[in-house]
Amino acid sequence: MPNLPYRRRFLKLAAAGAALGAQPYILRGAYAQSGEPIMLGALSPLSGSGAQYGPPMQQAIAAVVDEVNAAGGVLGRQIKLVREDCQTNPEAAVRAARKLIDVDKVVAIIGIWSSPVTQAVAPLCWESKTVIACASGADNLTHLPHQGYLFRTQPTTTLQGRKFGEFAVEQGARKVVYLSPQTPFVQSMTDNMAKAMAAAGGSVTALVYEDKKASYRTEVDKALAGKPDMLVLGGYVADTSVLVKDLYRAGYQGKMLSYAYTVNKQLIDSVPKETVEGIFTIAPSPAADGTAYARLKKIVNSDSPDPYTAQAYDHADLVIMAMAQARNASGEAIKDAIRKLAADGGQRVDNAAAGVKILAGGGSVDYVGASGPCRFTEIGDVAEASFRYEQVKGGKPVLLKIA
Amino acid sequence: MTELLQALANGIIAGATIALPAVGLSMMYAVLRFPNFAVAGVASVGAYLAYIANVRWGLAPLATVPVAFVGAGLVGLACDWVGMRRLRRVPSSDGGLTVAIVSIAIMLALESILRFVFGNDLRSFDVPIMRDVTLAGIRVNPQQFGNLGIAVAVTACLFLYFRYTRMGKAMRAVADNPTLARLKGIDPAVIAALTIFLGMGLAGVGGALLGIDTSIDPLTGSRFLLTFFAASVLGGLSSPAGAVIGAVAIGVAEEVALIWLPPTYRSAVGFVAIFLFLTFRPQGLMGRR
Repeated sequence: MPNLPYRRRFLKLAAAGAALGAQPYILRGAYAQSGEPIMLGALSPLSGSGAQYGPPMQQAIAAVVDEVNAAGGVLGRQIKLVREDCQTNPEAAVRAARKLIDVDKVVAIIGIWSSPVTQAVAPLCWESKTVIACASGADNLTHLPHQGYLFRTQPTTTLQGRKFGEFAVEQGARKVVYLSPQTPFVQSMTDNMAKAMAAAGGSVTALVYEDKKASYRTEVDKALAGKPDMLVLGGYVADTSVLVKDLYRAGYQGKMLSYAYTVNKQLIDSVPKETVEGIFTIAPSPAADGTAYARLKKIVNSDSPDPYTAQAYDHADLVIMAMAQARNASGEAIKDAIRKLAADGGQRVDNAAAGVKILAGGGSVDYVGASGPCRFTEIGDVAEASFRYEQVKGGKPVLLKIA
Repeated sequence: MTELLQALANGIIAGATIALPAVGLSMMYAVLRFPNFAVAGVASVGAYLAYIANVRWGLAPLATVPVAFVGAGLVGLACDWVGMRRLRRVPSSDGGLTVAIVSIAIMLALESILRFVFGNDLRSFDVPIMRDVTLAGIRVNPQQFGNLGIAVAVTACLFLYFRYTRMGKAMRAVADNPTLARLKGIDPAVIAALTIFLGMGLAGVGGALLGIDTSIDPLTGSRFLLTFFAASVLGGLSSPAGAVIGAVAIGVAEEVALIWLPPTYRSAVGFVAIFLFLTFRPQGLMGRR
């Protein structure tokens, strides 16, 4: 066996090589125990029709993360935020979510805005045991088989539809047309508005149009054919800016009601004043007199951060505190712990850095966020919500009431 | 009856706005033999140039049209110079697919540049909004009617140019038979540049008209890319006159169908119409072969 020494030497070398090659893995394994950062994903609209909302949402989330990291992180680890753009487009959002889950290995995806995006991304999240927090309203979202991984800070469309219907009746409207592009919530908005109006003898007709059109003249003719006394505009900013112009051109002078995210500052500033004059808007109200909202004002440097920024701030606080509560940073642990953060008798907190400290010391917290008390139902809906009613007067939204 | 006439009027107005970029697309296809998808991005650029001319320089809407035309034409040329010129010259067996894909990339780049400079906000021109007037039972809007006039005038100029000028004839010659045109001493590079300038200029004017009528954002052009392309295909892809008819036909089909169908099927109607039409006449309205 003359070749034995060679074979031995080869084996030795191979073994040494394998050990050397494996070293990074061994080291990495040990490292993960102590200090590898916890990955957190923020998937918000930085472009597309929600582009106005994503940047401050991610700004709020980043500020929360920075604050927690500066105070020593959570569970002795730093948090690393990965930002992605959902483009207000479900297809783009799925690609971004895949990257967050498969490449970045995030434990939670937060700051999601629109319902179609949440609907598309949610299955990827629950399949991969990743927590998903959104500011989307469509009813069906929390009825998906999400096993507790999904929760939302935005009131459901059932509730919003009822509020819209009640307000329409309050304004003396009996015949309402709901104009909306195809969204996951158009049916439930219509049904719940109709339910609220039926008591007063009112009715609602839905007219579903296509967004991305340069003209809605024929749609407007159709909507006005039945002589409604109120129109509810349920679209996004780009299509609504075309719609209000065509309504004005058609000579419509009746009442209009819309979401505050539709008839927002951007829309009001971008169309001739007379086209939006008198439009009523309804929005979930942030907890405007709370301490968390006061902190948020400083973070995003604005006098009135919008409700979605407030909700994104709360998403970050909740997810980070849930890690401290569970003493574990896995998606599974976070989803179980998130409902324990509004503990009766817990210490009142309005930010994650303070909450993490209390929880690390063995205490319990009662978190009240910028969007309100964050208590969730069994299926992940937010339990309490108040609404903000405004009307556009002289090119500016004027507060009517918060209720 | 009034309903039908009203839908017809709405359709013509809607069709006129998409006609110009569709003509630009067809022109460039006729001469360069690839669909230049950058038209959508350049249409947005034209819209923003007109916006600057209108809001910052205080020009009247009509006066912004030449600004949009020349500006968008130059931007279109620059894009070609940077990204497509050399690829266009490589003889390839893929029927211009590579260049077409590059043109999509250029469209995305232009959008991103606009987003970087102007942000995502919607912007409106400084144009007073007018109520509709009723003519013989049909409601039309004076300002939209004006847009229709601009579109018709620009198209008329273009066809006179093709018919009577030396360069216009040369462009038609290249579209007809590039080899023969070269033998006659027509420089293909000059004709290509001129076609791109004119085609992209038209896209820019289309964007400006869209902006005057609605509001603009960086996605203004690409939102309508499919419609531009559909109008061009319906017209026979390489025929500017066909593109005009195609655009108006799609506009009218979509609006008239709404009388019986829910508005959510609007685009579907347009595309089903194209599908049926091309099944029986694959070369398009004015196409040859």
